Amino acid sequence: MTNASGSAVAERLSVGEVELEVLRRGAGRPVLVLHGLQTVDPRARFLDLLGRTAEIIAPSHPGFGLSPRPADFETVYDLVHLYLELLEALPYEKVALMGLSFGGWLAAEVAVKCRHRIDKLVLVDAFGIKVSDRETPDILDVFNTSPPEVLRRSWHDAGRAPDPNAMSDDELVVRARNWDAACLYGWHPYMYNPQLKRWLRRITVPTLVLWGASDGIVKPSYGRAYSALIPGSRFEVIEGAGHHPEIEQADAFAGAVGRFLGR
Amino acid sequence: MDAWWQCEVPYPFVPPDVLNAADSVRASLPNRYCDPKIAADLFEEVIDEFLLCDDLGMNVLAVEHHAGVNSLLGANPLLVGILARQTRQVRILSLGTLISLRKDPVRVAEEYATADVISRGRLEIGFVKSGGSEMASNNANPVTNVERYWEAIDLIKKALSHQDGPFSWEGKHFTHRHVNIWPRPWQKPHPRMWSATGDPETAAEVGRRGMVHVLVLRGPEGTKRAYAAHRKARAEAGLPKVTTDNFAYAAFAYVGDTDEEGVRVGSKLLWFLHTSLKSAPQYSRFLPGSSPPQAAPQLYRTAPPAAAAPGAVLTAGQNAARLTSITAEQAMAQGILFVGNPDSVYRQVMEFYDKVGGFGHLSLVGRSGFMTHAESEKSIRLFSKEVLPRLREIKPVTVD
Repeated sequence: MTNASGSAVAERLSVGEVELEVLRRGAGRPVLVLHGLQTVDPRARFLDLLGRTAEIIAPSHPGFGLSPRPADFETVYDLVHLYLELLEALPYEKVALMGLSFGGWLAAEVAVKCRHRIDKLVLVDAFGIKVSDRETPDILDVFNTSPPEVLRRSWHDAGRAPDPNAMSDDELVVRARNWDAACLYGWHPYMYNPQLKRWLRRITVPTLVLWGASDGIVKPSYGRAYSALIPGSRFEVIEGAGHHPEIEQADAFAGAVGRFLGR
Repeated sequence: MDAWWQCEVPYPFVPPDVLNAADSVRASLPNRYCDPKIAADLFEEVIDEFLLCDDLGMNVLAVEHHAGVNSLLGANPLLVGILARQTRQVRILSLGTLISLRKDPVRVAEEYATADVISRGRLEIGFVKSGGSEMASNNANPVTNVERYWEAIDLIKKALSHQDGPFSWEGKHFTHRHVNIWPRPWQKPHPRMWSATGDPETAAEVGRRGMVHVLVLRGPEGTKRAYAAHRKARAEAGLPKVTTDNFAYAAFAYVGDTDEEGVRVGSKLLWFLHTSLKSAPQYSRFLPGSSPPQAAPQLYRTAPPAAAAPGAVLTAGQNAARLTSITAEQAMAQGILFVGNPDSVYRQVMEFYDKVGGFGHLSLVGRSGFMTHAESEKSIRLFSKEVLPRLREIKPVTVD
């Protein structure tokens, strides 16, 4: 079985009645990775780097990648409960939970609700809360902003962005599915839960909040505020990276995550 | 055949260098470029034109578009309310307040019922799925747009026709626990309903619901295909055949004394296509949910997309791209511009009628761009006196 890119093997995983495409890599302590607006590219270097000491389990959310989306499964509430159920179903007493961007929002929600199946939490350029005043958006509206501007604000070096012209048809279809699904789940309120901020104090596991220094989608100051709401969490910035430090600075990213998880 | 006069109240008076520099003339163009004094003059002229139609017996049609040079009619129910009171005889089609953008369909039903009562039963209610830039302008999730469209229609229809006290609606997109509108509409069970759509799936649903099906600037092939989907869906559902009265077509139209005048002045209407369709990619090509993911290879690569295969159904965005560079000659050949002297316009309309298998309603997009009030009124007079009586001779027929 091949996945959209034609490389690597994508497994399937059933959670209740929902079937997920899952990317697995490496061996070691289990790490559940929740992807952002785009699914994790199986060729991404950070997977191999983390995989040296960790077993990566990276499902595609329903509607993203090659995961089907059941009818009426269309809210963050659904996603959060799906991953709560997945945590119960995994053959590990506890896993480390990592969320990237939109997936960071999901990870924070899951960590608020579930304290017995998670031993560590990593939030990377995460969405999910409202920090600034009502006329200052914290999270760039990627759906209503010109694509060149979204690109500019997503990357420290936009030259590192995936090039649609170099992608296969299947990969582009997946990108479009991801785009539609992200819009469906995150349109309103745009990429945050107004109530989440209040409950972040319930997160009691060791938490690392990692941020790309050049992130123009959600700025490091937002990450700092996010971190301040999670008791005892640690905030770290990765230089030379925008919204995707795991891609732009895979080594520094894997280093920071590795140090945190190995602690 | 019946005819309906339509003017979108475009605002062409933005400096060309501003329009050229903007990536979109809709949704994001700052409203400092819209002078309210000019806007007031435009509204006055256009409403007077609608009233001239009323004097001459031509029905009127009010559209809605948001936040752009293409139209100042962001608040369709306001114009419909004015027309309900100030016209006295013709029928008024709201096409329509954009229901998938409105948070509360019950309020829409109240507005429509009120207009129907004020006009003493002259209102017709049209529904439009909205354009991509309007999702941004109205904070409306584009992915669930079509679901909201149908649910809102269901709720509006029930609110207009239910007479037995409060009912409750707990739908997927709308909840309203206590629906009981006053006044109820004049017409029973409710004003006739229309729907504007070109894609086969929605066309089929329009057919099953028996709504008047209007195609806007789609040309003969797209129009014929949509009408066919409408009829096929009815046949498959075991529903009775409909007449041409269920079908409508909207095109640019201008009638002059001579062909030369008709073409020369009528060509001004193409401003709407050349200038006012410009929409940034985030509101069109990359708008979530607007194309199936399988279309992504065409849409995402920067190489110019290959021309759509003959017979392919164009997305609204692709249709717009096709129209922005059209010439008057091409527009006439494609059946989206009916211009000339009265005989020529009649002939062009009937040629189109024959190509698509007939329709019962012609909507004339009769004023746009820099066309003047005087030019517009001249066309209204000539059309009403010289063309409309001939079109009225064409009676509804059952279509196989």
